[in-house]
Amino acid sequence: MLKIGGLTKNFGGLAAVSGLDASIHSGDIMGLIGPNGAGKTTVFNLITGFLRPTAGQVVFEDKDITAKNPHHIATKGIVRTFQGDNIFPDFTVLQNVVLACHLKPGVGFFETVLHTAGSRRKEKDILHRSQAILKLVGLDTMADVTTRNLAHGHKRILGIAIALAAEPKLLLLDEPLSGMNAGEVSETMRLIDRLWKSGMTILLIEHNMRAAMSLCQRIVVLNFGRKIAEGSPEEIKENPEVIRAYLGAGEHAA
Amino acid sequence: MISLLSYAILIVCLFFLPFILHGPYYIHTFILTMMNIVLASSLRLINLSGQMSLAHGGMMTIGAYTSTLLVMKLGLSSWVSLPLSGLFAALIAGLVGFPFVRLKGIYFSIVTIFFSEMVVLTAQQWQSLTGGSTGIFNISRPNPIVIPGILNITFSSKADFYYLMLVLMLISLFILYIVENSRVGLTLRGIQQADSLAESVGINTTGFKVLAFSIGSFFAGLTGGFYPHYISAINPDSFGFLFTIYILIYMTVGGDKRFIGPILGAFVLTLLPEVLRPLKAFVPFFFAAVLMAVIFLMPEGLVGLPGRLKVITARFVKERGERA
Repeated sequence: MLKIGGLTKNFGGLAAVSGLDASIHSGDIMGLIGPNGAGKTTVFNLITGFLRPTAGQVVFEDKDITAKNPHHIATKGIVRTFQGDNIFPDFTVLQNVVLACHLKPGVGFFETVLHTAGSRRKEKDILHRSQAILKLVGLDTMADVTTRNLAHGHKRILGIAIALAAEPKLLLLDEPLSGMNAGEVSETMRLIDRLWKSGMTILLIEHNMRAAMSLCQRIVVLNFGRKIAEGSPEEIKENPEVIRAYLGAGEHAA
Repeated sequence: MISLLSYAILIVCLFFLPFILHGPYYIHTFILTMMNIVLASSLRLINLSGQMSLAHGGMMTIGAYTSTLLVMKLGLSSWVSLPLSGLFAALIAGLVGFPFVRLKGIYFSIVTIFFSEMVVLTAQQWQSLTGGSTGIFNISRPNPIVIPGILNITFSSKADFYYLMLVLMLISLFILYIVENSRVGLTLRGIQQADSLAESVGINTTGFKVLAFSIGSFFAGLTGGFYPHYISAINPDSFGFLFTIYILIYMTVGGDKRFIGPILGAFVLTLLPEVLRPLKAFVPFFFAAVLMAVIFLMPEGLVGLPGRLKVITARFVKERGERA
């Protein structure tokens, strides 16, 4: 589904990502892990067009989407979430999702502005779809709350709902569990698992190792912008290279 | 329903206003007020997308010269040249908008100032076309509207221009209101709050920002196109940087959070200097003071005043109660 070849990004002299190869198949749920500053979010930015790669390419469903505009890539079916700035704070929960249901083609500017019958029907569809998404993620009871007043955990979940509204084929989750309490973590993990079982392909960055291991079928480990390991969670857990990256090259080796 | 009725009454009152006002000077002031209302409201539409344009004066200059030259050099009817002046400003905004909106925040504002100054300089230097710094005089009035037996508007009195501007204002506000309350408006406000997020769900944020810039500039161009036919003269300094800043002050003082804000701001701040006429030399000083007072005391602008008074009275009443 998604193929990344030789993906490289240099910031000045610093190689944030270098020569990354990876591929995700339809129906996969893959984890992208690594110590802080390993280049995980940079990989997301490169895939979704928020950054232009220095070299390498990104191919999605056999089409080269390298360095295309982010909104263009989103319409192709890759939608990502953000660690920060993941909601529209002045809108209600429902408005957040309604706005993100924007992708439906065929509603032109004048149609929308003039409230033609066609656009009204579409608006109605969008409203129903938004309510269904809120129900799915469990925010339906808070539909009319202004989102800046939400609890942190609910904001994070709303971030996922916004991404879902754009109807992704491939969903990129950037640390979906960060800052959540234990209850919210298990709830969100169940949500991600449900999305995957409903047929969505998912790539996620996660610092919560236990969660990443239990959610993902396959895991890619980055360190200093390079892929140091790839495999099932069991293989990753025992990979000496990974252990060294996380714990440092300890003196115990001597 | 009630609010719809009150709007209808207000509009009817506006139609009868010229009969009540004594003398052309007051009518003139009201014409300027209505121009400023359109300008401040259209500036707010651009602002909705999170970018502060300071090119409104430049766009007005473009509109003013477009309409003037189309009438004077090509002999077009001013009824054709007036909408064209808006469209031409919108087109220019659309073209320069794409590079401009790549800049964010204050950098966008700065580049729009440069653009505006460039328009003024072009008007000054292109003497064969624009008449240079002295500008163009004796610009013809709009062609009369004559419906035999019913209507005969010859644009020989200020009241006729009052009606023209009133109609332009009502149409402009109507369009701006519909755009803001449509999905387009929702999208613009979303882009203002988090543009990367909007982009990530497939919204062409560049396109929408340019669209807002272009629609807002349309109304600046239209108002600019009206002005020379009314005053019958135009020169490059008519709408300079200070003029744009005034529009910005109308919007900010009125309050840019709500549609009514810039209308209120333009109304109060255009009429107030007339009341304080003996102090006319101090107007810029006065505006600066009002602006600072509003920013510090009423961050939501004049539209936030009723709510703020309510809070203050409630607090006052509560303190009295506690003391008793």
